[in-house]
Amino acid sequence: MDNYSVIGKRIKNRDAVTKVTGKAVFAADIKLKGMLYGKILRSKAAHARILSIDVSEARQLKGVKAVITCEDTPLIKYSIHPLMADKLAFEDKKVRYIGDEIAAVAAVDEATAIKALSLIKVDLEELEGLFDPVEAMKEGAPKIHDHLETNVSKHFKMDCGDIEQGFARSDFIIEKTFTTHAQSHSSIETHACVADCGLDNQVTMWVNTQAPHPLKHRISQVLAIEPEKIRVIPPYIGGGFGSKIDLDTTHIACVLLSKKTGRPVKIINTREEQFTATRMRHPSITELKFGFNHDGTIVAKQARAIIDNGAYNSHGPSVMGYHNVMFSSLYRVENISYEGSLVYTNKNYGGACRGYGDPQATFAQETMMDMIAEKLDMDPIELRLKNSNHPDEKTANAVEITSCGLTETLEAVKKASNWSEKKKTKKKYRGLGVASMIYTGGGSRGSGFNYSGATMKMDASGTIFLNTGATDIGQGSNTTLTMIAAEILGMEPEQIRLITSDTDTTLPCMGTFGSRVTFCAGNAVSQAALNLKEKIIARAADILGEPVVRLEIKARNVCVAQEPEKGIAFSQIGAVSYSQKQEVLTGAGYYDGPEIAKDFDPKSYYAYPGPAMSFATHLAEVEVDPESGRVELINFYAAHDSGKVINPLLAEGQIEGGAVMGFGWALTEELKFENGRILNPNFHDYKLFSIKDIPQITPILVETIDPNGPFGAKGLGECAMVSTAPAILNAICDAVGVRICDLPATSEKVFNHIKLK
Amino acid sequence: MVKKYPVRVNVNGDDYEALVDPRKTLLQFLREDLDLTGTKEGCDEGDCGACSVILNNRVVSSCLVLAVEVDNAVIETIEGVKTGEELHPVQQAFVDSGAIQCGFCTPGMVITTKAMLQEMPNPSTKEVKEYLAGNLCRCTGYVKILDAVENAKEKLKNG
Repeated sequence: MDNYSVIGKRIKNRDAVTKVTGKAVFAADIKLKGMLYGKILRSKAAHARILSIDVSEARQLKGVKAVITCEDTPLIKYSIHPLMADKLAFEDKKVRYIGDEIAAVAAVDEATAIKALSLIKVDLEELEGLFDPVEAMKEGAPKIHDHLETNVSKHFKMDCGDIEQGFARSDFIIEKTFTTHAQSHSSIETHACVADCGLDNQVTMWVNTQAPHPLKHRISQVLAIEPEKIRVIPPYIGGGFGSKIDLDTTHIACVLLSKKTGRPVKIINTREEQFTATRMRHPSITELKFGFNHDGTIVAKQARAIIDNGAYNSHGPSVMGYHNVMFSSLYRVENISYEGSLVYTNKNYGGACRGYGDPQATFAQETMMDMIAEKLDMDPIELRLKNSNHPDEKTANAVEITSCGLTETLEAVKKASNWSEKKKTKKKYRGLGVASMIYTGGGSRGSGFNYSGATMKMDASGTIFLNTGATDIGQGSNTTLTMIAAEILGMEPEQIRLITSDTDTTLPCMGTFGSRVTFCAGNAVSQAALNLKEKIIARAADILGEPVVRLEIKARNVCVAQEPEKGIAFSQIGAVSYSQKQEVLTGAGYYDGPEIAKDFDPKSYYAYPGPAMSFATHLAEVEVDPESGRVELINFYAAHDSGKVINPLLAEGQIEGGAVMGFGWALTEELKFENGRILNPNFHDYKLFSIKDIPQITPILVETIDPNGPFGAKGLGECAMVSTAPAILNAICDAVGVRICDLPATSEKVFNHIKLK
Repeated sequence: MVKKYPVRVNVNGDDYEALVDPRKTLLQFLREDLDLTGTKEGCDEGDCGACSVILNNRVVSSCLVLAVEVDNAVIETIEGVKTGEELHPVQQAFVDSGAIQCGFCTPGMVITTKAMLQEMPNPSTKEVKEYLAGNLCRCTGYVKILDAVENAKEKLKNG
């Protein structure tokens, strides 16, 4: 057993008291003197040429202080992928989806800004809209982006082993097509931004972003403003789930309107804008072909995927990369073939969304695994155990696995759910289903970078400060990162003063995504704390006249081993350092790993450079009402290998929240499109799970010790919803014998499948 | 200019008098005119519960109430829940149970829980689920919110 005083403890979220009293300031709560209110004019057409934009009447309206269009911007395109940038802040020639930005207004109040939008005259020539990626791929289809040859934004093929020989050697082959739908992130806080740009060209932004340091960089690029003039300050952030990573036109508009007026400007998305004009989970079509033997060994697997990009790239190119990596890396299979096409359509566009292409891949693969188990009359858990990944292995697609608890997660859900007994005594309309997953446990260097920095210092009073670029969007990194520092420095986490995210006062961090913060920022914090600890002990040794090896830190005192009365308090060390030695003790830490392998392919993500892989198995117990098709979740078990768990209370919260987001994707949440228009852009018609709908959820933490993670930890946040949907759909099949391969499994769909059986 | 109407209202024990635009919702009035920004706007159409406040002893979505309707009313917002140095037992229960992640739905959840436990001190799990069904949370999956309610029930019983 490890002997930690802080790590592994159920420590309460350090921001909880601020949040529970309503004192936490979110972006929309900010009110500055003289502040104006901004609104964005969005396209009502799915695909159209812009003939003219007349803002003269809007500019005349009393209370309107500025109106901007593409003419007020440097016309620099942006995207997460700089070489595939395709989005302008305000479109100049064409609009490509309903919601596309055309102009923005700043006025003395919101009502005036909305009125001004209605006075902007936009002359459009409507073009044929493309809403189905299969249609958009056909030869002769109208082009959505004129500068490209086709509507395929990215295409790649990856082969490992010999797929044809693999199929030839297989006892059985199954082929099946799986489709998944658009899900909205639905953080309860919408996008909001306040920008204050004075006449001195300084830019200060308060934004609910998951990635403040990259945002500063992107604002600098897209508006051609020197980075030293930009400061991004994230206030408290009301959830993100991937939706708040990108640079967004609301940010650009806020800065431009503030520069134009010399006054602070605030823009807050309405819930409808949040649904229709911020990112969503990419819909997908995945054709699978699996070859396998009598004993359950998967010999060969092939995927042909179409990812529906929507109108612009955002994260699409790497989401497709992840779709391949996670499909190909789960289970030990030697012969793999993957071919993917990322296709533009005239719809709201996909982005990073919890799981990042993995839920789509895992839904297909894990449903296929159950079809194989059925064919072989084999227990689905046994089949997965047979093909399970192991520690210290390299997969066929050259992904290095360090720690791996996949087998243990399968065994844990089997035991917790009483699987074997329940399978034997199966009740009518009740069913059990499992699904496993793999995902990165620490971001990746797929883009070339995976950096996080941290600094620590001791001031003259002996107070310890941690400055980290990592951003807490609700997942709890403020708590876990201070726990890591506190463990090393022999103190309580709440005794550490914490400064995060502000681009002026923290070292750059890539941001909160890719389940990377615990691993990457945790490693940086750990290094900074060790660095500071060494200096504190050296200073104490100097003052006490004792050798360093005899000293240890206990409760903010440096003590001499075996002579507890001989020690010196942090307060004295800080005072002596500052006033006598003229030195502030500091520590710095930086992480940017892992090494990128020589054979890494940035297109397909072959030899994916992730520093650690996390694993999980979910198990659902459902009851299906054959009269209505309604699926009731009875029990849900989620076993996760996230390495050493820094804080079980917060880890359980991630698992429970992820599972419920997965329930929604599996059963009730679907953005419905009609000719490019979203029909249900509100919480009334887009159904999140409420507290009424949740079953008993049992989170299980299967601990492994990752050799490269801080205290052995790996990431968790995104993993938490990846295998939820296939577990539920496999349970539905177990309950009523219908195999649904197109998500979501709405009551209507389940009912129709039962009727057709 | 839109004609404004006088409103006299007691919020968290303090009396306010204001001239209010009749188009303004109670949510906007609290956040913009009284600077009580603890109450959150998640949807502005009555679906998410983030803007819940207690109006004359009943929980309402403040985005669905017009400010002019609250003349002579008594309102409690999240800022009024904690009265002394200590957190209210419901707040303490949310903190202790790990029921708070991003915290954006939290004020509405706390207000609704407090109102529920005033109405029925010992609700069953089913009753709790019914009462809180209008408050959406995307982060927690509600499990630890249910723990918090149980915890708050006990705290209030013993306190």
